[in-house]
Amino acid sequence: MQPEKNPNDIVPMIRIEALHKSFGDLPVLKGVDIEVPRQQVLVIIGPSGSGKSTLLRCVNHLESPTSGKIYLDGELVNDTASGHKAFEKHLNRVRCKLGMVFQQFNLFPHMTVIENVMEAPVYVLKQEKERVRSRAEGLLEKVGLLDKAGAYPSMLSGGQQQRVAIARALAMEPKAMLFDEVTSALDPELVGDVLRVMADLARDGMTMLVVTHEMGFAEQVGDRVIFMADGVIVEDAPPKEIFSNPKEARTRQFLSDILK
Amino acid sequence: MLDWNIIVHYFPFLAKGALLTLEISILSLILGLVFGLSAALGKLSRNIVVRSMAVFYIWLIRSTPLLVQLFIIYFGLPQLGIDLGPYISGVLGLGLNVGAYNAETIRGGIQSVPSGQQEAARSLGMSSALAMRRIILPQALRIIIPPLGNNFIILIKDTSLVSTITLVELTLTAQRFIGSTYKPFEMYVMAAFLYAVLTTSASLLLGKLEARTKKGSR
Repeated sequence: MQPEKNPNDIVPMIRIEALHKSFGDLPVLKGVDIEVPRQQVLVIIGPSGSGKSTLLRCVNHLESPTSGKIYLDGELVNDTASGHKAFEKHLNRVRCKLGMVFQQFNLFPHMTVIENVMEAPVYVLKQEKERVRSRAEGLLEKVGLLDKAGAYPSMLSGGQQQRVAIARALAMEPKAMLFDEVTSALDPELVGDVLRVMADLARDGMTMLVVTHEMGFAEQVGDRVIFMADGVIVEDAPPKEIFSNPKEARTRQFLSDILK
Repeated sequence: MLDWNIIVHYFPFLAKGALLTLEISILSLILGLVFGLSAALGKLSRNIVVRSMAVFYIWLIRSTPLLVQLFIIYFGLPQLGIDLGPYISGVLGLGLNVGAYNAETIRGGIQSVPSGQQEAARSLGMSSALAMRRIILPQALRIIIPPLGNNFIILIKDTSLVSTITLVELTLTAQRFIGSTYKPFEMYVMAAFLYAVLTTSASLLLGKLEARTKKGSR
């Protein structure tokens, strides 16, 4: 980093350039450009099938983009030039800095809650176990589940599992977090706790890219909201504008459909 | 009726044969797990050469009789200058055989773990090998252990086939004493009884192992 310049002004935390993704003949993303500046929360909304989850999964390369470039903190994520083995190693390194939370939680069912949180720091980053444990306990406290540290995921509600999943991702001390419809599989009364944890995280300055159907969250926590449809960005604006005065007809249509 | 004097006199000798049967079973179980896991991972590999080799091995073993496989290893290979002797031939033949069946069981278990587990592991920066070892296999194990246990029980019984390649395990021990006593009924009943002891103990042990892998399961 250049000491004389504020890096926040130059390098966005996440930068997506001309991203295309097709599944076979079916184009899902048709040229998407996004920048997420440091410590900002970018929320992506849109109808199902609009490509928003695929977009998120391209960022940490769970899906490989058909073309386009993705940067995390200035570093090219899909840098495939160096051959398969080197690319795999590079990806593992990048993924350590990029937390992801899934719709289906995907906790490891054969491990207790605290083992879930400790797994990657201990086995991927090779950090010392006792130090990781105290950090994991701190994270579980933050998501309100320290008392469940010894429980197995199957003993927890969906909302609790999802908060553990957030703690698990945070244990890697990532630079940014990806949230893929993390409340969509939850019973309505459990959604609030998860969103509160995410709002806390945003307030603490985490850079977040969030795909969600929770318009309230988008409005209150998002710094910017992107409306996507059919694999392209239709509108990109601050939440106030998008929700009170959308410019595009498709955005208006979508919002009136879901807010009915 | 049964000649109890014969039974009392020869039982210790047959029990000794049963010990060799147990030893062969355990060694070929271990070999079968190594072959099985390798072939399962091979069949799931992205490398076409590795995958073809795994597919070929599984196909070859499962489409031919164990007895013929043992004969090829013990009687056939020496013709090519590879003389392994009855013990190694027997263990290798059984290990290769059960390995091919284990491979399909293990592959099925691995594939039954939801893909979200793999994605979660990879998203945390795990390599595919680490994800397999720490996340996928332990979960697959729960599904795999009962059918693997079945394969092991079958293996114990199949060890009787190595009596045909002069390995003096339980069955061949019984046969030898028949030659001197002319008491086939007593000898084979004793052998059957000892096989039943081995297989029943194995399935009791497997039941305990199964219960231990169930922790955290829904």
